[in-house]
Amino acid sequence: MFPIINIGPFAIQTSGFILIAALFMGIWIMGYFSKNLGTNGEVIENSILLGLIVGLISARAGFILQNPTALAGNPFAVFSLTPSMLNASFGIFVGVVTAFIFGQKKHLPLWPTLDTLTPLLILVFAGIHLSNFANGNGYGLPTDLPWGIQLWNETRHPVNLYVLVLISAYFIRTALHTKIFKNTGFIRSGTLFSLTLGVIGFITLISRSFVEEKVLIGSFDSWQLMGFALLVFGMAMIYHKGYKNQKHISVFISLGSNQDAEKNLGKAIDQIKASFKIRKSSNVYKTKDVISEDALSTFFNQVIEIDTDLSYIDLRTKLKAIERGFGRQQGNKKSVPLDLDILTYDNDVFYFHGKQIPDPNLIQYKYIVVPLGEIAPDFRHPASGVGVEDIIAQLSDKNAIQKLKEVENGFTT
Amino acid sequence: MSKKTFSVFSITVILLSLVWIMMTPILFPSVQADTNTFAVHKGFQAPNFTLKTPDDQTLSLSDYEGQPVLVFFWASWCSVCKRTMPELQSVYEDFAPRGFEILAINTSFQDTLSNAINYFQSQGYTFTMLLDLDGILSRDYQLHAVPLSVLINPDGEIVDVIIGSGMSESYLRAQLNNIFGERD
Repeated sequence: MFPIINIGPFAIQTSGFILIAALFMGIWIMGYFSKNLGTNGEVIENSILLGLIVGLISARAGFILQNPTALAGNPFAVFSLTPSMLNASFGIFVGVVTAFIFGQKKHLPLWPTLDTLTPLLILVFAGIHLSNFANGNGYGLPTDLPWGIQLWNETRHPVNLYVLVLISAYFIRTALHTKIFKNTGFIRSGTLFSLTLGVIGFITLISRSFVEEKVLIGSFDSWQLMGFALLVFGMAMIYHKGYKNQKHISVFISLGSNQDAEKNLGKAIDQIKASFKIRKSSNVYKTKDVISEDALSTFFNQVIEIDTDLSYIDLRTKLKAIERGFGRQQGNKKSVPLDLDILTYDNDVFYFHGKQIPDPNLIQYKYIVVPLGEIAPDFRHPASGVGVEDIIAQLSDKNAIQKLKEVENGFTT
Repeated sequence: MSKKTFSVFSITVILLSLVWIMMTPILFPSVQADTNTFAVHKGFQAPNFTLKTPDDQTLSLSDYEGQPVLVFFWASWCSVCKRTMPELQSVYEDFAPRGFEILAINTSFQDTLSNAINYFQSQGYTFTMLLDLDGILSRDYQLHAVPLSVLINPDGEIVDVIIGSGMSESYLRAQLNNIFGERD
């Protein structure tokens, strides 16, 4: 128990200090994670900030509504900085709902955003238990075990330490699994978040047994039941995301060629048509080679949307096989008979075998975004939620791009 | 993890968790309203104490059984304490007729006694001032910083412990209304 830290003449409330530190550290790691995932870190941070402010105001309003007599002496006390005059659960509820609505208005995609929030979620959960440990809240039942701690006139289970050990282990596991927050480590967006919810639920339902003061519903502890609900929800979401066979997944593919381009693109479309349903296909565009910057090389590009039941891995293998059929040599960037790039796979954000989905080129090059905008004007980036028009407006690619019209046996400008 | 392994794993975890929750009331029965344990924390019984007033009267916490009591540790050099005490006085005037008592314990072992008494009298506070001359009570009440407010209900159970500036007129009014509301 260490409710106060003394720094010179200042006495700091440990629990508040720990919570703020956990929040800041969580937001800092989240910002780094967000950059690597390509999600919209700035908007996510703003929605958290808004949620915190609105949550605080509502927590105070909730307290006043419950205790209207509190203001009898001094109505200005409504602005006083006393942390005891807060209705925490009401504040958290309103804060979360506000942040959620703000995120929706800003078109934040749900699951990639929740994945981004995962490190913050873990740290805040750990912070709550560390601050409870600091001021002796949520104390354990009396025990004779050798690791019992002396607290409130008894030797007790150090429940908060049990939780901290478990959540720290999960945090380290998550850090390793995500290559220190480089990617989520899962193909389907939302899996990391669901797993984390499940683990937090599991830790809660196990540890609450050792807590002395339980909040009972019937003969069961309500926190334990809530933990169980989180566990079941987490597991169900992982199953739904990772193991249920998906049907009719929308995939955007970029086609490119600089060798006999007119013929190759047409042939490629025919081959893709043989295996997939093409939902939409853009005009062909002519650009300079932006990768090798060879002045003489001209690329023809096109974007299509297909409908597939294949998993990402199977789809990629299939497309690679088609590329090879055109004589494509891996690594040769100068002579490209046919290049097929998966731009997006459903609405998922992931990293697989050195390939990032959505393709990072999606927010860099005109030869991809312009044809994409032509066939899907309502397209939003699956990670950041930014609309295709805004992506085009923000491009730094200043190369000219020219739409070609198809005529018999070739293209014309 | 294959689909089958995951299904078996998750169903096992969920079932074992369910068994654990079912067993908890039997294995780890919860101790509600811990009436026997004395500790300075919300939910426990407030430890009793006996101290002297500046005019050498002896008073004990147990003298106030059946009444709500605010135990308020303060020092004359503590500006937060001196900002809070007028607020306490205002609440005291309204609730004293219904049995509310404030024991303002001066941490005399780390204060100048004459300063403390002068301050208390000059402000015209009508609640009770007590002196912790040897610091033993402050140690027993785990005083880490002043002010420290310990609000005790008529059953002797601690309703809240607030370190620092969190104790205010409005908060105290709200708490007392709850305490008296439950009784009425």
